[in-house]
Amino acid sequence: MSRNDYGIIGEFETADQLIAATRAARDTGYRRIEAFAPFPLLNVSRDLGCRTVIVPVIAATAAVVGGAITYFSEYWMNGIDYPLNVGGRPLNSWPAFIPATIIVSAIWLATAAFVTMLVKCRLPRLNHPVFVVPDFERASEDRFFLSVLAEDPAYEPRDVTALLEKHGAVAITRVELTG
Amino acid sequence: MGRPPKVQQTLMTMPAEAPARDIARIPLSPDFGWRWAASLIASVAMVFVLAYAVGLAVFVGVGVWGINVPFVWGFDLTNYVWWIGLANGCSLFAAILVLRRHSLRTAINRFAEGLALFAVVCAGVFPIIHLGRPWLFYWMFPYPAEFQVWPQFRSPLTWDFWAIITHLMVTTMLWYVGLIPDLATLRDRARSVAAKRVFAVFALGWRSSIRHWAFHQRAYRLVAIAVIPLVLVIQSTIAFEFAVTLVPDWHETRLPLHFIVSGLESGLALILFAAAALRTSLRLERYIDDEDMDLIGKLLLANALVSAYVYAGEIGVALFADDFAQTAALNRMLGDYASLYWGTIALSVIVPQVLWLRNVRLNDGLSLLVGLAVTAGIWLDRLSLVVAGIQRDYLPSMWRTYSPTAPEWYLFLGSIGLIAALFLLFVRYLPVISMSETRHDEHLESRS
Repeated sequence: MSRNDYGIIGEFETADQLIAATRAARDTGYRRIEAFAPFPLLNVSRDLGCRTVIVPVIAATAAVVGGAITYFSEYWMNGIDYPLNVGGRPLNSWPAFIPATIIVSAIWLATAAFVTMLVKCRLPRLNHPVFVVPDFERASEDRFFLSVLAEDPAYEPRDVTALLEKHGAVAITRVELTG
Repeated sequence: MGRPPKVQQTLMTMPAEAPARDIARIPLSPDFGWRWAASLIASVAMVFVLAYAVGLAVFVGVGVWGINVPFVWGFDLTNYVWWIGLANGCSLFAAILVLRRHSLRTAINRFAEGLALFAVVCAGVFPIIHLGRPWLFYWMFPYPAEFQVWPQFRSPLTWDFWAIITHLMVTTMLWYVGLIPDLATLRDRARSVAAKRVFAVFALGWRSSIRHWAFHQRAYRLVAIAVIPLVLVIQSTIAFEFAVTLVPDWHETRLPLHFIVSGLESGLALILFAAAALRTSLRLERYIDDEDMDLIGKLLLANALVSAYVYAGEIGVALFADDFAQTAALNRMLGDYASLYWGTIALSVIVPQVLWLRNVRLNDGLSLLVGLAVTAGIWLDRLSLVVAGIQRDYLPSMWRTYSPTAPEWYLFLGSIGLIAALFLLFVRYLPVISMSETRHDEHLESRS
């Protein structure tokens, strides 16, 4: 394994081949696997051990925190810092503070979900070694790719190639790290 | 004679089994035909009319409008309430489809989300110029100001401020998150370097990794979850703007329900209109198929029946109300502006009844007309509520009539031009149907 080796990537024609190859690669003991498909494949993400539950947890926390910040800042501004007495209504007029609280917590929820997605996917990242793989532009169209990364402790180019070939890869490319 | 629309030709000669990839040909085609160009020129001309009307309101003042006490809301709030209802209806529908993973979503979601976003943009114009001194709109934002006062958070106007900003942000996110994989497809398929670069930047380097997909699906659904309470609260908040006043006809707890039901109905009607228009103009029958049109038609019909129930309930409430509220409500239904009220009933309750017929639901031309009729009907409802609702308040000395002036009409027509221009650009440069969802659906169908 050379220093600037990214890994080996195989191209498949069907989702079933990708599913089988991913499972075989995992069962062989590879841990640093990446799969690419033009649409979400639940089986494969499960096989890759992709846990996404952090996204809703962060989003829900953000919604609660954002709602609390909104509510208490409304209360602080209209009740403490500059008390506004409108027709003798209570300074903590909670029913009137609720609509903005709910509305603003939706921004927090959506933004947190979006940002967590970007962080967990390491996006935006416009350049990536796999982009030089011939035919890779079809990963967003009708082809499926599986790569075993060189940083995997069990990585051995010949074995990986054999495994990809066995599952019907139509093309196998050795990817180098760029830049 | 203009050049023939090439897109339509290529799409019509597509083999029937071609996968989702022909959707990408629409944004990537070098030429889009003279009809699109002519429509864009017409709508951009209307955007200039909007700019003129906004300029008048800013530099001359709102005195150019026909508003006067008690009619301080007039056309600007009518249009605002109408646009935000359209936006909320489209957003709610799109979000529910995302969460339900319904098969309709492949066909409808993308442009429903787009329409929602463009409608919010149109809606946002009105409350700002309605302020009279629009350059001071930032006073609504709680910032540590020189004069040390804060916005009054007990006022629905501040709720409204948050509602528009949030709606704009969350709808943009819903639309954009769904778009990312499709932008990557366009990046990979674009031939010109410039187009490739633009799509590459907006696709954020998406590389269709399964890991990306897993997080993407989670985030997309979470943003959709954020939309659902949001649109219901926003529609209610707008209703509260009326309901918290002391105007006899507005001071009603039934208003939030009325706004939610009629807002969703107008959103569905806009979606039906856009779906029929896209089918006929871009030959998208394979993606927005007969079954989809059938379902939207049925949903609109069901919603029209709920509207009928709400309108009937309104009459019931009016009959049992106190004298002032009863006079005001009956005046709205039978007074100077009775035509607005009955126009609403005719267009948004009676016209959709033709959707009982399957032939009508499957006919693009008729669906287009029904969609247009219902959106127009809901506009009349907003006008009826804003203008006729306030005509009989507690001060008989103020009982007069209101009619819009030319600049108010310019604003209204200009905002329609704005949404049309945005939608035409969207249709031209972005995929109107979600390609990744279509591929996913084709995959799942081939499985079953």
